[in-house]
Amino acid sequence: MKRLAGWTMSAPATLLVALCLIVPVTATIAATFVTGQGPFAAYAAFFGSGFRRAVLIRTLEIAGATTILSLLIGFLTAYVVSRAPPRWRSILIIMAVFPLLTGVVVRSFAWLIILGRNGIVNNTLVGLGITAEPLPMIYTQGSVIVAMVYLFVPLMVLTLVGVLENIPDDVIQAAQSLGAGPFATFREVIFPLAVPGLIVGAVLVFTGSFTSYATPQLLGGERQMVMGTLLHQRAMVAFDWPGAATISAIMVAVTLAVVLGMTRVAKRLNPMAT
Amino acid sequence: MAEVRLTGVTKRFGRDVGIEDVTLTVPDGAFVVLLGPTGAGKTTTLRLISGLETPDAGEIAIGGHVVNDLTPAQRDVAMVFQQYSLYPHMTVRDNLAFPLRSPILKTPKDAIAARVREVAEVLHIAHKLDNKATALSGGEMQRVSIGRALVRQPQLFLMDEPLSSLDAKLRSDLRIELKRIQADLGATLLYVTHDQIEAMTMATHVGVLDRGRLVQFGPPKEIYENPASLYVAGRLGLPRINALPAGLFPGAPAGAKTIGLRPEHIAQGEGQPARVVRVEHLGDQTRLHLTLDGHDVITLTDVHTDLGPGDTVAVAPRNPLYFDARGARIT
Repeated sequence: MKRLAGWTMSAPATLLVALCLIVPVTATIAATFVTGQGPFAAYAAFFGSGFRRAVLIRTLEIAGATTILSLLIGFLTAYVVSRAPPRWRSILIIMAVFPLLTGVVVRSFAWLIILGRNGIVNNTLVGLGITAEPLPMIYTQGSVIVAMVYLFVPLMVLTLVGVLENIPDDVIQAAQSLGAGPFATFREVIFPLAVPGLIVGAVLVFTGSFTSYATPQLLGGERQMVMGTLLHQRAMVAFDWPGAATISAIMVAVTLAVVLGMTRVAKRLNPMAT
Repeated sequence: MAEVRLTGVTKRFGRDVGIEDVTLTVPDGAFVVLLGPTGAGKTTTLRLISGLETPDAGEIAIGGHVVNDLTPAQRDVAMVFQQYSLYPHMTVRDNLAFPLRSPILKTPKDAIAARVREVAEVLHIAHKLDNKATALSGGEMQRVSIGRALVRQPQLFLMDEPLSSLDAKLRSDLRIELKRIQADLGATLLYVTHDQIEAMTMATHVGVLDRGRLVQFGPPKEIYENPASLYVAGRLGLPRINALPAGLFPGAPAGAKTIGLRPEHIAQGEGQPARVVRVEHLGDQTRLHLTLDGHDVITLTDVHTDLGPGDTVAVAPRNPLYFDARGARIT
């Protein structure tokens, strides 16, 4: 009876996921293997194109760099927040996640204003006479990464604060009183205990930045095409649906591979984590 | 092993006093128990010595060296926390090996393994070495936590109510074990507890703290028999000392406000009549709850007493302690 109630209650959500996610994704991916020119023809075409290979590699680079930078910045922020007095903690968290209250497009647009040709940074540099000409900062890989880090750090902070808060002060103090310096305490105690949170955060940020569309579109443009923007171009501009399906299949595969890979890394870094 | 000397140590937390002007010498090889209610400054004292807190004033010396400016890691002390504080991501073995792997000590691998083995044997946890640290019972976790302090053979052990979260049987076993280990190693040990049995059985010295001040320091027998104040007298002894108006019995010295009578310091069969309220047979002793002029008095009596509620028994003080209006002892 209890079990039936559980099924009944989760049925709407299950149905929604099955109909709106599993069915269309399966259909899309299945279609890429039935092209009439052999099962892997679509993938051979994708990897045969130097341009598309470059897009995939660029996307991996941007997502990788975004993940690593978000991990560093997010961890430091989260550590400070988690060790702050409880009274301060909620204020600091609110401040850290404040950017999440505005939309992705708005936040990406902010970087256009900051990094643009007549943006704040260039105007300052030129005004101070440091550079004669405005620097081309926008439409570079760097600008996309900067904006994405800005986008994803709050997410990382939120994930890590929860994990770091759960490390009792006693455990850290025990390490100190048992002869571990600050660095050893971090390496042997705090870091391993934070690994589950770091992995969750890294997976969230990597998948988010690997599949992002708006930010690379605004700050990377045509020159810094990534998988998301390429997908959009193939599907909505070129109406190359089989090509777009192939791109999405590759994105799903990469995302799954990253999640599995990260889980293995987590097991190695903290074998006791369950 | 080393002597610990605190000179005029003060620590405040905002407006609250942690400890105030504490001067204390823990002799080399002593087992010192700090007693006092919650908030008296016991734990603060340990944390100051360990270096987890820095004093606002005063000097802390371990083994003759002032350690005020040293980090906890540099002080060569080992602290055992009330809540075990084991590293949940490590096995019991790694937890025990942790202090030896610290960069300051640089112990060779086989020496670490041997030492961990040895300590695990002493604490009867050798069969659990490969368990996850959090998959142990409370008693086992606390033994690992104590073991983690033991492996280092530090100058000084600091233990903050290490037995308080264990059940009675385990507590008495570990009490004996701890005392034996301390005696074997000749280690200096500072121990915080609420439990007066722990204090009486293990301590070579007892320090009594009252609102951040050290009010008496000495061997447990002396603290028990010769308390400096009513407050100190109330910290040791079970049942607690009876504090009664001094005028209740003849012979009080001038200025005495309170007479302190330990349960065993009440003679029966002479003196004032008291009514028996309740008789508690505990097996090895029998407690008599009396009321005397409206004051509750607890005393001990013959194990096989015939007294029952409602009976009257005459009582008189024997070796009483007198205290003045401020609670200070009058001798």
